[in-house]
Amino acid sequence: MRLMLAEDSTLLREGLVRLLVEEGHEVLASFGDAVSLLHGMETRQPDVVVLDIRMPPTHTTEGLRAALEIRERWPETGVLVLSQHIERHYAAQLLASGAERVGYLLKDRVAQVDEFLEALERVRAGGAALDPEVVRQLVIRSTHGDPLGRLTPRERSVLEPLAQGLTNTAIARRLHISVSAVEKNLNAIFDKLELSRTTGHSRRILAVLRYLES
Amino acid sequence: MQGDTAGVVARRIPGRPGRKGSGADEDVDGRTLSWALRVAGVLLGCTTAAAGLLAFLLAGVALGPFLLWPHTRPGAFGVLMAGARRLAGLERNRRSFFFGDRFPEHYESCDRKVLRYLAVRGSTGLLCGVVIGLLGIGAVLAGLLVRGAVQGSLRWGELLTQSLLGGVLLFLGLQGLRSLVALDSRLARESFGPSEQELLQRRIDELAVSRAAVVQAVDAERRRIERDIHDGIQQRLVALAMLLGRARRGRDPEQADALLLQAHQESRDVLAELREVAWRVYPSALDDLGLEEALGGVAERCGVPVRTEFTVQGPLPRPVETAAYFVVSETVTNAAKHSGATAVSVRVLLDNQVLTVRVRDNGRGGADPAGVGLSGLRSRVDALDGALHIDSPEGGPTMVTAELPCV
Repeated sequence: MRLMLAEDSTLLREGLVRLLVEEGHEVLASFGDAVSLLHGMETRQPDVVVLDIRMPPTHTTEGLRAALEIRERWPETGVLVLSQHIERHYAAQLLASGAERVGYLLKDRVAQVDEFLEALERVRAGGAALDPEVVRQLVIRSTHGDPLGRLTPRERSVLEPLAQGLTNTAIARRLHISVSAVEKNLNAIFDKLELSRTTGHSRRILAVLRYLES
Repeated sequence: MQGDTAGVVARRIPGRPGRKGSGADEDVDGRTLSWALRVAGVLLGCTTAAAGLLAFLLAGVALGPFLLWPHTRPGAFGVLMAGARRLAGLERNRRSFFFGDRFPEHYESCDRKVLRYLAVRGSTGLLCGVVIGLLGIGAVLAGLLVRGAVQGSLRWGELLTQSLLGGVLLFLGLQGLRSLVALDSRLARESFGPSEQELLQRRIDELAVSRAAVVQAVDAERRRIERDIHDGIQQRLVALAMLLGRARRGRDPEQADALLLQAHQESRDVLAELREVAWRVYPSALDDLGLEEALGGVAERCGVPVRTEFTVQGPLPRPVETAAYFVVSETVTNAAKHSGATAVSVRVLLDNQVLTVRVRDNGRGGADPAGVGLSGLRSRVDALDGALHIDSPEGGPTMVTAELPCV
C-alpha cells in the first residue's frame, strides 16, 4: 500500500520507513511534524497515514488534530495514530466520525511488528484498529458491570478483539476457533448486552465501544 | 518574583526582628560618634519638636475648615501631608547627621506613619525639653546647696536630706532623658524604615512566592525528565524492538545478521542515553564525591572548554551543594547550546558564610532570565534565601552569579 508517515523522532521514522519498505509497501513521504504532513497531503493522498500524536512545536496533540483534519478533508485516506499513553478521549475523538479507516495504537505496539502490520492492513481495508490496551481499559472501567459479568469467559475473550476492530476471520484465527463459533459467540454477546444485531463491520465496533463507554 | 535585592535588604537592615540594640548605638564607618554631636542632636530635637508642633497648630487652624469639607478635603490633606513630609525629612536628616542612623534609601513611609511620627515625636521632644529644663534647675539648686555648705549657712542634717532628694531627682531626670533619647531613636527607625511587622510581612510574602516558585520549578523539571525519557530513551527502545522484529521477519539470514548487529549497537546507545538522562535528573557523584568532582563531570561533558576554579575548603550544606551544581550545569549547558561561546569559566568560592558561584562565557549574550531554565534556577536559589544575578547584554559576555548563604 502507499503510505505517509509523520513522526518527530528521526530514529523511529527511519526505522518505520525501512520496515514498511521491506514489507513491500511504498512510503510516499515521511515528515517530522504535522504541518508539513498536511502540506504534503495537498499534492497527493496515500492509502494510509501513520502519525504520532505528540509532535513539534508544542508536543501535545498536534498529531491528533492533523488526523481529524485528514479524516474530514480526505475521507478515503486511512489514519493510524500512534500515542505515547493511552487516552480514552483521544480514541473517542477519533472514532466520533465513525470507525472506518481509523486506528489508534500505543506507540510501543510498533515494536510488535506483526500486530502493527496487521492493524495497518485493517485500517487500509476500511476497518478499525484499536489498541488492545484501550479496549482493556474500557472493559475495566465499564459501568455496565453486570451484563459484562453475564458473559461467559469465551464470550469475553471474543469481545476484546471485536472491540479492537478485528474481523470474524481474524478473531477466529487469534483464538484458534472456527469462524462459525465466533459468529455464535457474537450473537450471544449482542443479545446479552442488548445491542441491536448491527451488520457491517464498523457499526458493530461502534456499538460495543458506545456500550462500554456509556 | 521579587527583585534580587529586596529580600537581602530586608534581611540586613537594622531593626530586623530578633535583633536587639538601636540605630543610635550603631557605629558609622567604624568610629563612634562624639558625644558632643549627640548632645547637640538632642537639644536640636527639642527645638524642632516645638517648631513642628507650632507648624502643625498653624496648619491645622488654616486648613481645618477645608479638611472638614468633603470636596476640598483631598486637596487640603495633600497640602498638609506635603508639609508633614518636609518636617519628617528634617527629622530624618537630624537623626542621620547627629546620631549616624542609617535608613533604607528607597523606603516610602505611608501618610499615617508620617503623621503618627510627627505627633508622637512632637510630644516626646517637648517632654525631652521639659526634662532638660528640670535638670538645669536641679543644677542651679545644687550650686546653691554647695555654696550654702561652703559658707556654713546649712546645717548638716539639712544638707544630707537635700543631697539625697537632689540625688534621687537627678537620677530620675537622667533616666527620663535616656529613655526619651532611646524612644526618639526607635520612633525614627520604625517610621523611616520598615517596622518589625512590615519586615515580617515582607518575609512571609517572600516565602510564599518562593514556595510557589519551588513547586513550579519541580513540575518543570519533571516535565523535562518526562520529555527526556519519552523523546530519547523510549523512541530508541521502540526502534530497537523494531530492528529485532525486522530481523525475525527477515527472509534471508544475511540481512537478519546485519539487523541484529544494528540492534546490538542500538542497545548500547540506549544504555548510554539512559546514563545521561539519569545523570541529568540527579548527579549521583554529588552524593558520593562532592561538589568539586560533580562540577568536574560537568566540565568533561561540555562541548566547550570549561575552566573551573574551586577554592572551597571543608564541607558545604547539601542543599547549597545541589543548588550550586545545578546553577553551574544549567548555565554551562546554556552557554554551549545557545550562546556560541568558545570558552566558559566557573568560579566557586566561600566568603563569609556565603558561597558564590560565578559562570562566565564569551558568547553572544541575550540570555532570557524569564526562560524556563533560568527561572527554575532562580527558584532554587530563592528557596535557600540566596540571590541570582544574570547579566547577559546583547553581544555578550554572559555572567551568571549565584550567592548562596551557608547557614
